[in-house]
Amino acid sequence: MNAMPDLFAGAPDEALLIAFANGDAQAAQALTERLLPRVLAQATRMLAIQAEAEEVAQEAMIRLWKQAPDWRQGEAQVSTWLYRVVSNLCTDILRKRRGGVSLDQIAEPTDGAPSVVQKMQTNARMQALSDALAALPERQAQAVSLRHLEGLSNPEIAEIMDTNVRSVESLTARGKRALAAIMAGRKAELGYDDD
Amino acid sequence: MMMTDLNDDILEDIFAQARAVAPVPSDDLIARVMAGATVPQAVPQPAPRRSLGQQVLDLLGGWTAVSGLVTATCAGVWIGVAPPASVENYTATYFGDEINVSIFSEDAIFATGDFFDG
Repeated sequence: MNAMPDLFAGAPDEALLIAFANGDAQAAQALTERLLPRVLAQATRMLAIQAEAEEVAQEAMIRLWKQAPDWRQGEAQVSTWLYRVVSNLCTDILRKRRGGVSLDQIAEPTDGAPSVVQKMQTNARMQALSDALAALPERQAQAVSLRHLEGLSNPEIAEIMDTNVRSVESLTARGKRALAAIMAGRKAELGYDDD
Repeated sequence: MMMTDLNDDILEDIFAQARAVAPVPSDDLIARVMAGATVPQAVPQPAPRRSLGQQVLDLLGGWTAVSGLVTATCAGVWIGVAPPASVENYTATYFGDEINVSIFSEDAIFATGDFFDG
């Protein structure tokens, strides 16, 4: 991506969105540079399939553009809004999926330069995680992914999911337990030998 | 050993690997996102439905204008029904009786006779 000059450095996302709504195309480019990597990462972590993750990322950004003229200033942060949209789009796909996924669809990890075997194992784990998320109730899957894959705090998750912190705590705890139970059967397959 | 749930360490390890996933958006994806970034137009809100009475009222200029109109109408009706003496001749004209009215009638101007009689 060609980096934009620092025209918008320090400007909050919301200011850029309003600038875009007022006809500033450069603001859209700056927002894309800022937000698309995070949006794509969130979708990839939940879905583990590159094509699906890209589809979600594109849809989420298009929805942001459409929302721009009606954006209510000060009500929510752009990042919070995007977390919610991506999370919902991903659970929609997970709900439909719930079947087999061919290995060649799995996203390539981009961290470091691991060996082929390591890559395959990481891919298998990410796919197993995504499949397990698909098997969870949707709210649990969203809470677990926001907490453990995105590293957000419970109050942040509560805002994204439009609920309270106690509900988030309950959802993440139950979700994590269920996730562990679901993935237990694939322990050896994922390279975690019994000891 | 019987295989039960994954222990926390394993699950945390998998979570950590997932968090490390940091895909770089492809040029194609960026292009598709930017292609959708046409400056949107605000959706016009539909005008609220107005009753026929409200529309007529608006046509006449609102309540202020209508209240004046009503006052004038009432005054007109009242004058028609019980015309004061000063307009009686006009109403007679309207209904067919011919009369002559002298605007500068001496009777009217000098009726009191004050100016002359001192």
